[in-house]
Amino acid sequence: MAVHQIRSVVRPATLEEAWECRRSEPGASRFLAGGIDLVLYVPPTVSTLIDLSCLGIDAVRQEGSDVVMGAMATLTEVLESPLVGEFAGGFLRDVLRRVASPLQRNVATLGGAVVRAHPWSDVIPALLVLDAQLDVFDGRRSTVELSEVRARSESPSPLVLTVRLPGASCDGRGAFEKFARTGFDVGVLNCACFAIIERGLCRTARVAVGGTPSVARRLPRVEETLVGKPLSASQIALAAQTAAGVVDVRDDRRATAEYRRVLTAVGVRRCLENLAGLGSEVKE
Amino acid sequence: MRIHLTVNGTGRTWEVAPGDTLLDVLRREGFAGVKKGCGTGDCGACTVLLNGRAVNACLVLAVKAEGHTVVTIEGVAQGGRLHPVQEAFLEAGAVQCGYCTPGMVLSAVSLLSHNPDPSEAEICEAISGNLCRCTGYVKQIAAIERAAARMRESQ
Ligand SMILES: Cc1cc2nc3c(=O)[nH]c(=O)nc-3n(C[C@H](O)[C@H](O)[C@H](O)COP(=O)(O)OP(=O)(O)OC[C@H]3O[C@@H](n4cnc5c(N)ncnc54)[C@H](O)[C@@H]3O)c2cc1C
Ligand code: FES
Ligand code: FES
Repeated sequence: MAVHQIRSVVRPATLEEAWECRRSEPGASRFLAGGIDLVLYVPPTVSTLIDLSCLGIDAVRQEGSDVVMGAMATLTEVLESPLVGEFAGGFLRDVLRRVASPLQRNVATLGGAVVRAHPWSDVIPALLVLDAQLDVFDGRRSTVELSEVRARSESPSPLVLTVRLPGASCDGRGAFEKFARTGFDVGVLNCACFAIIERGLCRTARVAVGGTPSVARRLPRVEETLVGKPLSASQIALAAQTAAGVVDVRDDRRATAEYRRVLTAVGVRRCLENLAGLGSEVKE
Repeated sequence: MRIHLTVNGTGRTWEVAPGDTLLDVLRREGFAGVKKGCGTGDCGACTVLLNGRAVNACLVLAVKAEGHTVVTIEGVAQGGRLHPVQEAFLEAGAVQCGYCTPGMVLSAVSLLSHNPDPSEAEICEAISGNLCRCTGYVKQIAAIERAAARMRESQ
């Protein structure tokens, strides 16, 4: 249905121009990427959209050992990129294949997914465990942690230029679990785990759980149980039990807190078993 | 606002409101094969090709089509001949009420233009955003397999 409150769409050619448009009307403007979220959920005060499509921020490229994905790249473009396919065993590609259907992925952008950060987002937990960073512009360029942008309270939040996968995560492996009623539905809970395994021990371990029903967060207490340990059956059971204990869950119309706690343990266990099968020789 | 785009091979210039969706505008301009179901990206009845990729016209603002190419179901047959996907849908009996059919066909056309030899899982994935209330999807999947085989043979 037409979004009647939108009075103008501007298409700036430079970052400075785009930022100035946004800064001068913080309540009444929004950046427009693919627009699939804005069409459905545009805030009532917004009347101007600032289309980011002429800013040249849609390429996926290698920069040193990092893979740098333009915020305006569609989810399809990201998942089809050979660079993303080769990064951490194609973990992000496999997660993006589980986001909605091709009809949405052909339009939705990575930047839109990151900034909108729905509580049930599948993209956020995957990026959190890859330790992704954002290159942003708010009058000047800077690189910030993904979690930092979401925690910022100032308005307007910065223009996201790229999502950066640090080369240090390239040699790890990730696993993802999404619990949803159907393949197309958004998840009741999701879980992402990532590990770099050296000589049978976890050198790095990252665990994030989302749809709790808050947006995904890392679980450092679970990660601590894994670092320096083998991904053995007993270690996986301990991590799953710890996750269920520390995860911050609530009831909503999709599921109860109690059910989410159970799903957290199952999700963490399945992800870690998956990683153990891929990366570790040590099993009990 | 004025937008310039190519629809089914013909250049068009349309006056649109900034908040119009591509679905609103295409239907207003007479492309009634683009169906409106949910209006929220859930059913796929409004599927069109935007630069060769299947998208929900109800979730795309018309202004985002500026300078781009759109194909609706009306533009899939060429020179009076049905597209192999359309032929296969007829032959396999993949149409009942037909409301989902334009969207299903366009999702299949998009898939086969990027992946000429899809597995059954890839076909299911490609049409996962197109809901059908009448069939059990079995005949549509068979039709897309049949169209893929025929298109490969004619290459
Ligand atoms: C039907 C449907 C099903 C979905 N299913 C799933 C699912 O299964 N899993 C999942 O994880 N997600 C799902 N999503 C969410 C989807 O991934 C996001 O809505 C989408 O990625 C938003 O991208 P966009 O380009 O359309 O954003 P837009 O609608 O253009 O923008 C969204 C918000 O982000 C801001 N923004 C966009 N780009 C930038 C930028 N570069 N810098 C700063 N701000 C920016 C906009 O101002 C706006 O506030 C679904 C969405 C829909 C509509
Ligand atoms: S009308 Fe667009 S998806 Fe239903
Ligand atoms: S044939 Fe009736 S909805 Fe698909």
